[in-house]
Formats: sequence, structure tokens, C-alpha cells
Amino acid sequence: MHDLDRRALLGTALFLTTAGFIRPALAQADIGRAANFIQTTGQELVAAINDQTRDLPARRQRVAAVLRRAVEVERVGRFILGRWWNQASPQEQQEYLKLFEETLIRNLSARFGEYQGVRFSLGRTQQRTEDDVLVNTVIERPNTAPFSLDWRVADVGGQPKVVDVIAEGTSLRLTQRSEYSSVIQRNNGSVAALLTAMRGQIQQLAQREQAR
Amino acid sequence: MRQPTRLRLPRAALAAPLLAAVLLAGCATRPPASDPDAVAEYRQNNDPAEPANRRLFAVHQAIDQYALRPVAVGYRAVVPQPVRTGVRNVLGNLRTPVILANDMLQGESRRAGDTLGRFVINSTLGVAGIFDVAESWFGVRGHAEDYGQTLARWGVGEGPFLFIPVIGPSNPRDLLGFGLGIVSDPLSWFGQGAVVDALVYGRAGVTVVDTRESLINTIDDVNRTSLDPYTTLRSAYRQRRAAEISNAGEIAPAAATSTGFGVGTGMDQQRR
Repeated sequence: MHDLDRRALLGTALFLTTAGFIRPALAQADIGRAANFIQTTGQELVAAINDQTRDLPARRQRVAAVLRRAVEVERVGRFILGRWWNQASPQEQQEYLKLFEETLIRNLSARFGEYQGVRFSLGRTQQRTEDDVLVNTVIERPNTAPFSLDWRVADVGGQPKVVDVIAEGTSLRLTQRSEYSSVIQRNNGSVAALLTAMRGQIQQLAQREQAR
Repeated sequence: MRQPTRLRLPRAALAAPLLAAVLLAGCATRPPASDPDAVAEYRQNNDPAEPANRRLFAVHQAIDQYALRPVAVGYRAVVPQPVRTGVRNVLGNLRTPVILANDMLQGESRRAGDTLGRFVINSTLGVAGIFDVAESWFGVRGHAEDYGQTLARWGVGEGPFLFIPVIGPSNPRDLLGFGLGIVSDPLSWFGQGAVVDALVYGRAGVTVVDTRESLINTIDDVNRTSLDPYTTLRSAYRQRRAAEISNAGEIAPAAATSTGFGVGTGMDQQRR
């Protein structure tokens, strides 16, 4: 065998071995970073929810502020509108993203806002998928048995961001994508109809918040 | 002398021809091939009988509003939490034959061992299954399993989505599994008589109330926040079944049943 061939063979073997080692190591780093991010965000949320010095609207606002920072709202919104995104006019797209952010933040902060005395901890199973990391957490509330919540964390411009929440095997963004698409379809493909429905829903949510 | 055994046809079998007629009456129009995105979504939704399903969903919503939900709310108000937990534990313990058979049919010997051990301990130390001491003392948590999941593991497809009033979201595979669960349950083999009938129907009734009670908050949320509750339930059911079939992540409690709203039993309260 020529020396050159041998060197190439060794080089390739070495490359394959290191590549084999490096990739899991990288994945491990990603998982660690995503888990840290969820840990920090979760602690901020819990602190905001359990802050006894503020009233409910103030707490809800703080929860909303944390969520706005942690969730990649635009990417989630576009994923959820799915195939209808390209059929919407630029104005409709802008309007949709605005309404979507408001719906999402209001819904989540209304729900989390009620979780008085909530505690949370990282669960056991953190895993890497093709694009993202799934971080498992356990949510505990007084008088309620704990339940598990998975956060899908993506890398957005070097920053970890939440792109989905999965409760009991049910993904929020998948469920909401079929919901929105169904509304559009049942209105003969009109994105404007969805926007009207979303506006109505935000009004209802606001009224409920007032009534509290 | 032995009593002649009466063939106990599951109610689902009687309802099948009726259901088929309703389904044939309303089929969704398949989108034209010129719109590949719409076709892909149509396939993804797996709901060719959507118009008929939506009509059945409307029927269910009415039954739920005037009967199921009020009864569940009353049950929650009148019966204290520890008693309700006891009721759910008994229902879960009674499901042992179905869970055990399906653990074995799926070749899950460890889970089968868990199921059998739990049954022996909870039926005795746990006073006829009222207390889940297998979990609280021995740390062996219960899990759900059913014939629909086994069929899925064996490669049987789910078939088109179906919505059945009172039962909830389903599909032919899970309905077949539901029927197999009833037929294979030893409780349905004990001949006939008023006592056996009362036990069988009583258990079915309590199962419906227990299931609905455990889902009061979840379903209220769906009805309030979803722009289209039908689609939300369809999507959630199919995702949840997929997670259950793969035995991934968190597990459903033993009292969870094989289809419809039953797959969500105890989701709020029983997790650890």
C-alpha cells in the first residue's frame, strides 16, 4: 500500500472517530443550554405568578413580559398559519402576527396567572430532535397532583427561544394550526375571517380579565 | 345446572349500522389535485366524514351541556376528593384484565408484571382496589393499555376519524378495541341476572361520570379558548393516542379507557 493511501486512510478514520465524538458532545451542550434557559425562564415565571405584593392584573402583566421575551412569537405564529401565510396579503400577515401575539400571551398569562403557589422543576428526559431540544419540566400546584410539560426550544439567531409547549403529548402549535386552518377553510379560504374571529376572542378574553 | 350464557353484544355493535348510514350521508369534499397543500392537509386531518362528524359533535355538545357536564359538576361538588380518588382507583383496578392482556399481547413483560403485581396488592391491601397502595407504598405506578393500542402496535391503521356522541373522538381501530375490551372483560362472562346487569351498567355509568369530572377544566378551556372546539378535540385526541401507543413520556393512569374522552381520564389530577 502507498504511504499516501495509508495516510488518507488514517486521516479518514481519525476524522470519522472525532466527528462521532464531537457531535454527541455538541448535542449535549445544546441540551444543557436549552435546559438552563427553561430553568431561568421558569423561575422568572414562578416568581411573577407568586408575587404577593402585586394584584392579579399586575402579576399577569409581568408574566406576559417574561413570555414575550422567551417565546419566538413570530416563528410560532407563521408555523401555525402554515399554508395560509402565503395566501394572506402583507397587511393581513402583519395584522395576524399582532393578533396572534396578543391571543397567545393573553391565553398563557391568564392560565399561568391562576397557578398561585406553583412550583416547577426540570424533569428527567431532555432530548435532542433534528432541529430543537425538548426540555421536560414538572409543574406542581397545591392540591393538584403534578403534571409534566415539555418545552420545545429552538436556536434563533444564537439565542434559545421557546417554539412550542407540549402538554400530555399534545403540542400547542400543532393543535392550534389545525384550529386556525379549519376556521379559514370553513369561511371559503378567507384569512380575513380568521382575523375577525381572533379579534372577537381577544375582546372576550379582555372582558373576562375585567370581570375578575 | 349451568345457566345458558347470553350473548352480550356491545352497544357499539348495535349502533354501527345507524352510524354507517349517517356517515354515508355526509362526506367531506376532497380538494382538487391542483391544490397540493389543501390535499396534504385533507390527508393529514384524516377526516373524510367531517360534515357528519360535526353533526354528531353538535349532538354531543347538547347532551354534554344539559346532562354530562351538570352531573359531573354535581359529582365534584357533592363527593369529596378522597372518595372520588377511591372511585377512580376501583375503576382502574377493574380494568386490570384488559390492561394485563394487552401488556402481554404487546410483549411488554415488565409492564405486565407491574399490572399483575398491582392487582394483587391493591385488591387485598388496598381493600378491593379503593387505595392505590401499590403506588403509595411500593412506588409501582399504574398505566393504561387497551386493544386499540395493541392493534396499532401490530400495524393496524387508525382508519378515518369518527366523533361518537357521549364516547367522544375516536376511529374504527379504537372502536374495535373498545368492543374487544367489553367482550373480553371477565365481568361480562358471568351469565345473566339483575345483579350482574346492575354491576355492568353501574360501572359504565360511574366510568362516564368519573371521566367527565376529571375533564371539567380541560374541556371548559377548550370550549372557551378554541375558535373551533371540534378541530381542537380531533387534533388533541390523535396526538394523545399517538403518544399513548408509543408508551413515550408520561403515562395515563390505569383508569383511563380505550377511546373517546376516556383517554384523558385523570390527566389533570393523577400525574406524578
